[in-house]
Amino acid sequence: MNMLMQLKKRTREAQITGWYEEVFPAACAYIRKRGGQLEDAKELFQEAVVLYYEKHTRSGFLPEKAEAAYLIGIVKKLWLKNSASTEEAVSIEHIEIIDDDRPNLQHTERLLQFLEKAGRKCMDILQSFYYEQLSMRELSVRYGYGSERSATVQKYKCLEKVRDEVKQRSLSYEDFLD
Amino acid sequence: MRTSLIETKRIDDWLLGQDDPQEHLLMEVKLEISDALKEKVEWQKEVHGLIRSYGRKQLKAEIKSIEHRLFSSQQHRSFQDRVRAIFKL
Repeated sequence: MNMLMQLKKRTREAQITGWYEEVFPAACAYIRKRGGQLEDAKELFQEAVVLYYEKHTRSGFLPEKAEAAYLIGIVKKLWLKNSASTEEAVSIEHIEIIDDDRPNLQHTERLLQFLEKAGRKCMDILQSFYYEQLSMRELSVRYGYGSERSATVQKYKCLEKVRDEVKQRSLSYEDFLD
Repeated sequence: MRTSLIETKRIDDWLLGQDDPQEHLLMEVKLEISDALKEKVEWQKEVHGLIRSYGRKQLKAEIKSIEHRLFSSQQHRSFQDRVRAIFKL
């Protein structure tokens, strides 16, 4: 991994560490007050970090108020969602929670396990672009391509390869179920 | 780029709404007449969902590893004490 990418990885790591140090104790206090345990706080905070990270990378979203307040807002919303209480939910309704609502989680998990074994490099490239939202320049640096154009071609080759593998695996899985 | 890759790119641009209006319209017409293309679009959409699940899984693993470090290293002793005090551990 070259210096630029090491820096990028460190940046994400430093950002998450900072959120833990700054916001996690407040999340714990909130959850403790409502009868939750440390394990509940850990689980909800992990989920909140994922949701916040996704919102930020997808839309470049930065909260108007402090980042910490927004993150704690997500924790509260997740807690209320899990405890099925709607009373307080109204006041923090502006915080959107996007679930992983893929209908057949077991099938998804099987496909992911297969792709992790058979096509890890392609999945890494694709997630770097579509999930982490790296630019083509950053992608070419991370994976050692000579130019953005080569990285672009590789990205589409991977997309096509994974698409065909997923189709094949899914159809044989359906046959198996039949 | 070879022809099939150009098609993969066009499907992607259409799915992500990144094509220009003319290309978008053309794609919609093609989708009306080609079942094979329609099928590719559906599978490509499925792959986008899988990439998101894969990315989430990687991110969660990274978060858990950071959390483990924060709760186990001497360097973060004051953080650990703050959290333990809340739960009276």
